[in-house]
Amino acid sequence: MEALRLEGIGKRYGRKPILEGVSLAVRPGEVYALAGPNGSGKTTLIRLVTGLAFPSQGRALILGEDVHKTPAARRHLGVVVEAPAAFYPYLTGRENLRLSAYLTGVKEEARVSEVLARLKLLAVADQKVEGYSLGQRQRLGLAAAILHRPKVLVLDEPTSGLDPEGVDLVHGLLRELAREGVAVLLSTHHLQEVSRYAHKVGILGGGRLLDEVALGGREVYRLEAHPLEGALALLKTLPQVASARLQGGAILFEGDQEAALKALVREGYRVRALFPQGFDLMAYYQERVKHA
Amino acid sequence: MLRLFFFELFKLFRLRSVRLGLLFAFLLPFLWALAPGLKEVYGLVLASGWQVVALSLLAGMEFLFPFLVMMAASESIGGEVAQGTLKSLLLRPLPRTLLLLAKLQALLLYPFVLLGASFLGGMLAGLPHGLGPFFGGTGLGEGGFAGTGLLTPAMALKELLKAHLLAGAVLLPLASLALLYGTLFLSTTAGALAAVATLLLMRLLVAFPALTPFLLTTYLDLHLRPEAASLGLSLLLIYTLGFALLAALVFERQDL
Repeated sequence: MEALRLEGIGKRYGRKPILEGVSLAVRPGEVYALAGPNGSGKTTLIRLVTGLAFPSQGRALILGEDVHKTPAARRHLGVVVEAPAAFYPYLTGRENLRLSAYLTGVKEEARVSEVLARLKLLAVADQKVEGYSLGQRQRLGLAAAILHRPKVLVLDEPTSGLDPEGVDLVHGLLRELAREGVAVLLSTHHLQEVSRYAHKVGILGGGRLLDEVALGGREVYRLEAHPLEGALALLKTLPQVASARLQGGAILFEGDQEAALKALVREGYRVRALFPQGFDLMAYYQERVKHA
Repeated sequence: MLRLFFFELFKLFRLRSVRLGLLFAFLLPFLWALAPGLKEVYGLVLASGWQVVALSLLAGMEFLFPFLVMMAASESIGGEVAQGTLKSLLLRPLPRTLLLLAKLQALLLYPFVLLGASFLGGMLAGLPHGLGPFFGGTGLGEGGFAGTGLLTPAMALKELLKAHLLAGAVLLPLASLALLYGTLFLSTTAGALAAVATLLLMRLLVAFPALTPFLLTTYLDLHLRPEAASLGLSLLLIYTLGFALLAALVFERQDL
């Protein structure tokens, strides 16, 4: 069963649609990154998924339970929706987490210290949150989100306001949690960073899910050949090549490199270089959003 | 649930409007005890410390206490929205109604604490005038401040306690009303102002005599008319529960 499933979810304010018919699924252990320009509906989608806002259409299921009809479904959910995460400023970090623990039914006191240590916050744990830096608050938000060992983690811009060390810490933690079987849905503008460990990227634009890109095992090759346009046209005719496009003075293609090389040589093209290049998510995203 | 209630109570007494309100309620009697124009305004020459307690209640209930209670109720939601912590609360696996109920319970206690602060301040401010038997009245019983003869401390205390409890009951639906607007507008100022505007509008409805016995505003001076307590208290309770129910319905489907 999918840990998180959205079925045609949408939101409109009056007659203005903000989000329309978004369907997606995140399996346990999968990291799903939501990308899209400002105003594309990422935050609205996160609010709908977490039950903070109510959909005009469709539904959001967490481990099979409708989050809007069954508040108890949120026992499986860990969330960071604000940047920086909001806490009672007159309480210490530890006290805020104790409160979260109480509200989510966590009884072990040791768990509070454990997550504080995991987010490297032990040194400031007993200071009032009003004195925390932006990054410390954001990390405390993540600590609160994972405190009750959720099965689904939903994060809106989790690295916003963090220094490079904090960004690494968060990405490392998310990777680790995914390995432990937690389903992660996060919105981000930092595609290059999340493409290193995300399994899927959903591209939102104009309130719609424009595309879903599965990143796992996606191999892209860079070809430098002469004449370039002819080589591109040839690659596009080959059934073994899934996609091919120009980038700079080269062709990027997905598919069988052996078959592509054989065809190019057979047709008399001069091949200068052919080597694997990681899937360029950013370029793909920019192209997808541009043509939306 | 009990822990949630205590947590809401703790948060309520951290609110700026509540802290200031309690301070004002406590200090106001000292101001009244020294006010030079009491005779001109109320026709009163202070004869006893008990009259300071009553005077503080009468003055406070005209506008200050209702406003403070409505402000606190509205801020209990609006403050959390502004701080961003309401979202964190609603993300927990608890029904929204339960969270609102805990807030409401804490808010319904606040009027009595506020009046308690005023009572205590009144007693302390009244000490120089003495708290023994005196010829006159508390202003809350028969004969007003002039009274009907000798008033013993026990009788004065009873009259004052009764009036304070009735005044507390009067403030309950106001807290509930402001909470309703707080959930609707998710803003402290908008919630409090809407509650004040509703009261002002209700006052205008006195032009419809058939409605008057059922209006909330008809009973805002219940502490001065204990004889109307039976119908008044029932209506105040109905208003409190009605506003709370509406608040729960609004909050249950409110987007954040």
